[in-house]
Amino acid sequence: MHEPGMDAGRIPGVIGDRIAGVVLAVLAAGAWWHSHSFATGFMQPVGPGAFPRLVSVPLGLLALYLILRPGFNQRWPHRAALLRQVGALLLLGGYAVFLEPWGFLPASLVTVIVLVRLFGAPWKPSLASGTILTVGLYALFEFALGMPLPNMPGLSW
Amino acid sequence: MDILTFLAQGFAVALEPQHLFLALIGCALGTLIGALPGLGPVNGVALMIPLTFNFGLTPTAALILLVSIYYGCMYGGRISSILLNIPGDEPAMMTTLDGYPMALKGRGGEALGLSGVASFIGATVATIGLTLFAPLLVGFAIRFGPAEYFALFVLAFATIGGVTSGSLTKSFIAACLGLLLGTVGIDAVSSVPRYTFGWFELYDGIDFIVALVGLFAISECLVFLEDTRHGSKPTMKLGSAIPGMRSAWQCSPTIARSSLIGFIAGVLPGAGAALGSFLSYTLEKRWLGRRGDFGRGDPRGVAAPEAGNNAAAGGALIPMLSLGIPGSGTTAVLLALLLSMNITPGPLLFAQQPEMVWGLVAALFIGNVMLLVLNIPLVGFFAKVLQAPGWFLMPMVVMVAFVGVYSLSNSAFDLYLMLAFGVLGYVLRKLEIPTVPVVLGLLLGGQMEYNMRRAMSISGGDWSILWNSGISIGIYAFAITLIVAGLVFGWMVKQRM
Repeated sequence: MHEPGMDAGRIPGVIGDRIAGVVLAVLAAGAWWHSHSFATGFMQPVGPGAFPRLVSVPLGLLALYLILRPGFNQRWPHRAALLRQVGALLLLGGYAVFLEPWGFLPASLVTVIVLVRLFGAPWKPSLASGTILTVGLYALFEFALGMPLPNMPGLSW
Repeated sequence: MDILTFLAQGFAVALEPQHLFLALIGCALGTLIGALPGLGPVNGVALMIPLTFNFGLTPTAALILLVSIYYGCMYGGRISSILLNIPGDEPAMMTTLDGYPMALKGRGGEALGLSGVASFIGATVATIGLTLFAPLLVGFAIRFGPAEYFALFVLAFATIGGVTSGSLTKSFIAACLGLLLGTVGIDAVSSVPRYTFGWFELYDGIDFIVALVGLFAISECLVFLEDTRHGSKPTMKLGSAIPGMRSAWQCSPTIARSSLIGFIAGVLPGAGAALGSFLSYTLEKRWLGRRGDFGRGDPRGVAAPEAGNNAAAGGALIPMLSLGIPGSGTTAVLLALLLSMNITPGPLLFAQQPEMVWGLVAALFIGNVMLLVLNIPLVGFFAKVLQAPGWFLMPMVVMVAFVGVYSLSNSAFDLYLMLAFGVLGYVLRKLEIPTVPVVLGLLLGGQMEYNMRRAMSISGGDWSILWNSGISIGIYAFAITLIVAGLVFGWMVKQRM
């Protein structure tokens, strides 16, 4: 909900909205076109493609409208912020990759410590809070809630 | 009175020790989640769903826990609005306007006490409304066929635009995007895979909870990363909350009006608590005119939005329970919980599982009293939690999101999907495209399509069945009225600002 007067971070979205409009229009057209490949079953008045088509028409029209009449955007992130965000996404993607092969404890420990660093904490609190969070969550999920988490290889109970 | 009998049965269910305990946990946790900036009710409830599954709770118990969290968040959101000028969640945004100036004048305790009482009254009015009106709506909805349900879904998406959220175009774009994403996976009727592009992981469709946690929790985290130089938070002298009770008495006309407005805003499908607090504040400001000192610490400016958003939160449960159409992002999450426990809300739920519906309603009455107790004498404790630094809170949210989502299916694919939705949510927020309609579209798309196709097979492929009954024409007319009213109201607000 956008309360007028609280929009200090707003910028005209001429570029952002138009790019979004083009992407969405292409998406709508693609969804329309692809929906014709869904085979309609026997004795069905409307097949599995009807609803996606029904949705992609307004999506496409609204996307075109967005290209013609762009609105406002929130201020896009600066370079340093973008780097932090990409860093965090790579870190979390890596976490998803290594969670199973490494086990919960080592993978989470590394992830949380780096993540706390990314959020701007100095090294010492990062190490401390990373350890507390990892061990705390492990104890909570594994013992209190009884959810099995992937264990370190060669270590299981 | 039928309702009283049902309600008595409901209290018997809600007063079971396990349910009382869960309600208490939910209220405390909800207040905490609501108080923490950036962790709104949607996030809080979404993060708790995977945990509920693993507790092995019965549907009634799970619903009581999550709805208590939901109500608790509505109370908690005000704390950081008043003390830090940062809304704890979206509906608490209007509370900053007069709450923070009050805190600056050293009346923070009074504002917290007053808003606690206003929240209590708003929520109680809404719960009474829920008790009275939900059965009425059920009696009406029993006559609905698939075509009428399809119209109801259209109504829900039409009202999502709300009167205040930036652009109507963008809200509709978001809804369409959500509906389209909802068609991914194997079609339930014909078993044809749609938009899966050979990815077996997508055959079951996009898991709603994975998308939700990504869209809200992960994107919140990305927003937070933009500026990590969050200065140390000022410690504000609280003062006693007791004077708040007296000012609540002085504000009672405001609270009464705002509770009513909030309740109506909440019942509209697709509108929700943020609209409730916005409307209550704006209309109260208009009503009082020169007699008010809004924006500079008028207690009525705190009472109005708090009564309004709590009343709306309760009102939003009505369409969710009686029609199966959620009125807000959070009730959408609650609906997802019910659907994944194989319970379909709607008229039949009231007939088949009255103990669950009425147990929930009774739990809401009890939870409200618990929340009042938690939020007036113990508010100092929750205020302390606000001192926790963001660099600790946000990684914690991310970790709970990861472990929760991973525990649902034990698949790394869901984690990648969650991250992808996090990026999508972030980009949408930057574009000022609201994310709640995406979530609603994703959740309701399946039901909407199912009703459309059932209507079509009844009519033998004749599309006019969708607008052939008086009820569905009435619903479409209502939807158009709401859109036009929203446009006019938005234009009027813009003129006056």
